[in-house]
Amino acid sequence: MKNMKPVWRGLLLLLIGAVVGYAVGLGLDAFIGGRIDFVAPLGGLFALLGAAVAFFLGLVGYRGITRGLVFQVIGTLVGGFFVTGIRALMGLSTFGGFFFTEPAWVFGALVGVISFLVGVGALTDWFKWAKGEETPDHHDDPEGFVKYFGVSLDHKVIGIQYTITSIVLLGVGGLFALIFRTELAASQLQFLTTTFKAFDQNGLQFYNTLMSLHGMVMIVSILLGIAGVMNYLIPMLLGAHDMAFPRLNAFSYWIAVPAAVLLLSALFLGGFDTGWTGYPPLSTRSPVGIQMFFLGVFVAGWSSILGSLNLIATTIRMRAKGMSAFRMPIFVWAAIATSIISLTATQLIGLSFQMVMFQRLFDMGFFDATRGGNPVLFQHLFWFYSHPAVYVFVLPGLGVISELLPVFARKPLFGYKWIAMSSLGIALVGFLVWAHHMFTSGMNEYLRVPFMYSTLLVAVPTGVKFFSWVATLWKGKITTPTPMLFVLGGIIVFLLGGLTGPPNATVSTDLHLHDTYFIVGHFHDTMFGGYIFPFFAALYYWFPKATGRRMSEKLGKLHFWIMTPAFLVMTLSMMRIGLLGMRRRIADYDPMLGFDLTHLITTIAGYLIFTSVVIFLYNFFRSMKHGEEAEGNLWNSRSPEWQVPSPMPVHNYDQAFEVVGEPYDYGLEGSRYVEFAKSKKGN
Amino acid sequence: MAHTDKKTALNQGMIIFIFLAILTALEFFIAIAMDAVPLLVIVALVKAGLVMYYYMHIYKLNAEDKGDENSYAYKTGSNRLGLWLFILSDSFVFGGLAVSRFNLLGLTRPHLDQTLGLIVTAVLLISSFFMNRAETSIAHGDRKGFLIGTTITLILGLGFLLGVVGVEWPQAIHEGVTPSSGAAGAIFFMMTGMHAFHVLTGVIFLAIILRNGARGLYSEEKHWAVEAAAVYWHFVDVVWIFFYPALYLMGTVI
Repeated sequence: MKNMKPVWRGLLLLLIGAVVGYAVGLGLDAFIGGRIDFVAPLGGLFALLGAAVAFFLGLVGYRGITRGLVFQVIGTLVGGFFVTGIRALMGLSTFGGFFFTEPAWVFGALVGVISFLVGVGALTDWFKWAKGEETPDHHDDPEGFVKYFGVSLDHKVIGIQYTITSIVLLGVGGLFALIFRTELAASQLQFLTTTFKAFDQNGLQFYNTLMSLHGMVMIVSILLGIAGVMNYLIPMLLGAHDMAFPRLNAFSYWIAVPAAVLLLSALFLGGFDTGWTGYPPLSTRSPVGIQMFFLGVFVAGWSSILGSLNLIATTIRMRAKGMSAFRMPIFVWAAIATSIISLTATQLIGLSFQMVMFQRLFDMGFFDATRGGNPVLFQHLFWFYSHPAVYVFVLPGLGVISELLPVFARKPLFGYKWIAMSSLGIALVGFLVWAHHMFTSGMNEYLRVPFMYSTLLVAVPTGVKFFSWVATLWKGKITTPTPMLFVLGGIIVFLLGGLTGPPNATVSTDLHLHDTYFIVGHFHDTMFGGYIFPFFAALYYWFPKATGRRMSEKLGKLHFWIMTPAFLVMTLSMMRIGLLGMRRRIADYDPMLGFDLTHLITTIAGYLIFTSVVIFLYNFFRSMKHGEEAEGNLWNSRSPEWQVPSPMPVHNYDQAFEVVGEPYDYGLEGSRYVEFAKSKKGN
Repeated sequence: MAHTDKKTALNQGMIIFIFLAILTALEFFIAIAMDAVPLLVIVALVKAGLVMYYYMHIYKLNAEDKGDENSYAYKTGSNRLGLWLFILSDSFVFGGLAVSRFNLLGLTRPHLDQTLGLIVTAVLLISSFFMNRAETSIAHGDRKGFLIGTTITLILGLGFLLGVVGVEWPQAIHEGVTPSSGAAGAIFFMMTGMHAFHVLTGVIFLAIILRNGARGLYSEEKHWAVEAAAVYWHFVDVVWIFFYPALYLMGTVI
């Protein structure tokens, strides 16, 4: 086995680990239940964990992430048994249908997350500081790909770690969607029936779990995706050698990994049926899976909060000489706007989920109307984050669009200051619109109209962006390599998402559209236009910067030309059936409604999108080693990171640069953006 | 603070403390005498403003940077900004809890022991005073003053925890205000619990700087850890400045 390629060794061990984990899980389950159940919750959970641990063991050996995962499993068990022991002493029930009881699972999961961080080594330096020891400013990373699987303080490594994790979760969330989309292809229940059984759920419950997890897994994937792009780019664009707090940066990434594990474990521990919103009172009655979901989101929220804290501090403190606020790359403005939201508002979703957790664990009646609680309060707290969150997702994407357009149109960016300010405008207005999700919730009626107007106000700064993009394209010398295709596709799809927004913001129409597939179509338009398309554009565009090779143009264009039409067909179909009365989140619908065919088309389009993403994944991983070499300024950009060879050196720029002009004066003769110092940086 | 001499700085801390004590007494008597929520909010805002300016030195965020990017002074500036961003973020948790309290209870409040509430509030306020003395001392190179101040702060912090978790909680449960008794009980335990958790982390932070300070790791120029612990400790105090009237003084007892 020593001579095998690490990937194959990892995959082989993955199989072994999955089987061993499955057997252990079945054994534990049989120990509690007294009989062997092949679709028992613990079998699935341990198979997943065993597979993950074994895969990384084969890939990189017992270090970094492998150690972290082992610690997490052990920590969870120790924490679980600790609470179980206390419960036994108190004379309470000790083991339940999911092995541990709910409080034991929750406490165990928390201990597991902390154990992961200890195991992976994300806390080592801080422990040393607490003991009064000094640590070097930067640790040297090991050579080769192994550095990506352990704690590294280099923002480029962390950015790539984020991005890869995000792509993995994107695949997982997409697979979930495909499964329940298949069930929806025709009316009646086909395979997720009431006799279907997996992990203590029947087909309908399993549908609910997949549907709910699709939402949250994708959201976490997006959060990690934007964090990856921002982490990789911001210090480079600012001319800094790293982020302001490298250890906090590593911590922010590594805390997201156990969060993802928790989130996925919800699938096995009975699942949950609330959708990604987790509204009480339903969420106070769901199986224990919802606690894993709440905890996973809570922990992933800390990743988001601390990452954005770091980003704001970096932008304020570490800019190159001469880079005044309005000479920063436009992407930095978008990143700042997004970070302001995630720094502050994320706490509120954490708080609202915590309160439901405590209602379940300690019977605290926050949302129990019979004891003076108020379920609508949850919705206020929840949407105070979860609406601005969609701006967290799209603002960096719109920033990527603004960043790339001038490069491929060879023209100055139209209205730079307006775009910069519109990002902040969207972020600030975004704090004042949350209750438009609650027009039908039974909240006070006088809140409806103000929230309608504030929501419609979002169209103003967004419109500024569109006018600027169109004006930038106007009479430009446009070329369309793959990144530009995705930028243009993003603009079109986001326009569709934007135009379908006002009907949902307007109270009178929203009362009809609420909780229909129209919302689902609108939402996927904004997410694809604002995040997925720009994210792919950014990957194609900056891939050479990270690897020194470029991705295949042919496959890239194939990816684009399959995904875009398929996606448009999918969302337009969703909106059509929504208008005709298809409710969201349900597993079955009445054939008499007459949209079986549209559902079938939607499902086929979904499979086509999946196919295009598989093409992308092949292109992505293959090009890392076998792509065409591209070390120079491939796109003829003015941005500082392209003025030095790819891949980027460890401490970014050997020579400091000074900003001497405007960032986007493409096509203007004699204009310069950055000037590199002649002498080496004095260190 | 290093520019003013030590005596002036310590006197300033004392004067601010006296102001805070008077304002605390004032809000207590306002609450007894009349039903004046806006007045209580104003007093709390004034108290929070005093602590944030004179104890947490929020104006230092605006200070000009000395030294180059890799110097201790410049990094301290970055750290300070990071800490304040964290405080901004954390205050949204407490803000959310305060909003929940008024959403669920309106202008009513659970029946709690007023004497005990005033005592724990006073303990936390006095601890802030000593924290300020400790930080001022180390900023002027007085290690002994720093150690004494930190030790007293730590003891008072533990005293606050004992008062809230060890005395107030059992007493409230005895009176029928339990986590599961209803919205009032739930919100009371959630607010005090979340605050107590922050006090606990602050106490741990204090223990760390006390140990490292005793080993002589901090100096007049290099004591960022002490400043961070102090600012965090005062922040926890600021939270209580708002939570105390929200839980004990505002509205009528149910």
